[in-house]
Amino acid sequence: MDSEDDMHDANDVDSLDDFYSGDTGMASDDGDGDYEFIDNDTDDSDDSTSHRQQQNYTILNEEDIRQRQEEDITKISTVLSIPRVSASILLRHYNWSVSKVHDAWFADEEKVRKAVGLLERPIVQIPNIKELTCGICFEAYPRDRMYAAACGHPFCGTCWTGYVSTAINDGPGCLMLRCPDPSCGAAVGQDMINILSCEEDKQKYSRYLLRSYIEDNRKTKWCPAPGCDFAVDFVVGSASYDVSCNCTHSFCWNCTEEAHRPVDCSTVAKWILKNSAESENMNWILANSKPCPKCKRPIEKNQGCMHITCTPPCKFEFCWLCLGAWSDHGERTGGFYACNRYETAKQEGAYDETEKRREMAKNSLERYTHYYERWATNQSSRQKAVTDLQQMQNVHIEKLSDKQCQPESQLKFITEAWLQIIECRRVLKWTYAYGYYLPEHEHAKRQFFEYLQGRAESGLERLHQCAEKELQVYLNAEGPSKDFNDFRTKLAGLTRGRCLVLHL
Amino acid sequence: MQASRARLFKEYKEVQREKTADPDIQLVCDDTNIFKWTALIKGPSETPYEGGVFQLAFAVPEQYPLQPPQVRFLTKIFHPNVHFKTGEICLDILKNAWSPAWTLQSVCRAIIALMAHPEPDSPLNCDSGNLLRSGDLRGYQSMARMYTRLAAMPKKG
Repeated sequence: MDSEDDMHDANDVDSLDDFYSGDTGMASDDGDGDYEFIDNDTDDSDDSTSHRQQQNYTILNEEDIRQRQEEDITKISTVLSIPRVSASILLRHYNWSVSKVHDAWFADEEKVRKAVGLLERPIVQIPNIKELTCGICFEAYPRDRMYAAACGHPFCGTCWTGYVSTAINDGPGCLMLRCPDPSCGAAVGQDMINILSCEEDKQKYSRYLLRSYIEDNRKTKWCPAPGCDFAVDFVVGSASYDVSCNCTHSFCWNCTEEAHRPVDCSTVAKWILKNSAESENMNWILANSKPCPKCKRPIEKNQGCMHITCTPPCKFEFCWLCLGAWSDHGERTGGFYACNRYETAKQEGAYDETEKRREMAKNSLERYTHYYERWATNQSSRQKAVTDLQQMQNVHIEKLSDKQCQPESQLKFITEAWLQIIECRRVLKWTYAYGYYLPEHEHAKRQFFEYLQGRAESGLERLHQCAEKELQVYLNAEGPSKDFNDFRTKLAGLTRGRCLVLHL
Repeated sequence: MQASRARLFKEYKEVQREKTADPDIQLVCDDTNIFKWTALIKGPSETPYEGGVFQLAFAVPEQYPLQPPQVRFLTKIFHPNVHFKTGEICLDILKNAWSPAWTLQSVCRAIIALMAHPEPDSPLNCDSGNLLRSGDLRGYQSMARMYTRLAAMPKKG
């Protein structure tokens, strides 16, 4: 639990509206300054694994939520000297903001009471007679079988139960239930519900109350993962929207799509829309195989890394993305990892109008295909890495520990490497959506972006290669390998060095 | 089911007892089915419906009075909140603002009030609503009066 202050401050940020509508993130004109890839080759910084920013959110389970709700109700109940049920009704009316309740109440208590339906004294006095007539079924009942909200309008137990049950089964509107008398606005709170309802309806009501605390509050949201019951309390105004739920789903707090830093929400929304609109075209364009650039046999990529070696006898090594020879990649050859580049085909000579249009359409589709392909490849690589990590944790670590005579605690660097790969793949994936929307004419910006992207990509490729393929050697070894410690140093170094720190 | 029947029976007895209580409303229960009612209401004075008698049909659900009755005009009427073909009525108390403390009698009173005070901003009859919204009060009144004469008054001769 956070401190109380923390809870309140964030509850009441009035500038929320700006906050939502504001153009956040990289698509803004000065985007370059907003992010930074730190591709740390020299490994001179030892804090680079602490790339997780200071946590600006809290994951709440049902128990936490109830506790917070109770605390807020207690606070209002104590400060305003009103019953807990009234405090709960008030808080719900003001979207569970303690300070908004305070402000409104102390500004004009009478007005608030009227709007919310909290009466100080009954509207009608129950006459001092033996029997009363129910206002719904019009039957006469002894006084002790009649119930009324604070207003005093009497209805019989059966009719109340039906009234309350109808409201509860109509949905969360039951939290704002009023007296059945049409001219009366008296609020009906949980105390009445508990007296008048069956067990099932009581449960439903209490569920709605709990949900309201998360859904009506502007600084809390449910985790969007299917079947996940955790909620997230977010410190409004924080630098990063990324939230990682305890269920392992990570999402953007602002738009609740999957986490997409460094790309901003509107770009993601555009990109997702575009993908759904064109995905059918893409499906056949991006059939699951590519021909080997040398022998032309079709190759299906079923492992995470981009370094492909064709099966014997061809054995041609190439990059899966650009289909260029692998020997052209990397620093060893003095070249650079350039497959993230896309050169728009230059149009020369004067085409006639239709030719030009056809060419443009083709170009724009090709351009989109270029980015979509890289986006999708990183996506599936990431998916693969997630499965690999599980496999690693469940099976391989133990095996490796036996083979190399290393305690499992000493093998944590492998898990860390895989976590890093997963995170990097995610970031890299979204850089392609960003790249697609980066204006063509901003050459300097584009070049700088592609340079960083290229560095990030080649770094990640080395890390992925090391964690996936080089590890196999030690996994399949007969006994302890003497260079295992070198491998540890290398992989740990790559893990640290490869982390992409993106400051948004 | 039993509760709704009992409640409707109470209303039936009340109607029988105070037949003359409200001269503008005449509620009649179907002879064989207590869940079917009809009502005759008089068009309110100083409105284009004055002098007309309008017939309403009530279909009462089994969950009554927790759920509202379904009411529609059987008599053709030109009114912004009444569907010109089906007679369906757009009135908040018949939908989300229903309260079980309302009765068939009070629903009739609410409908008479609606005839006198149309809500052109949520029209079921757009022609009628548009006339009122564009400020053509005369146009609206003459149309409404014409249909009142045609449909809600006894034929002369």
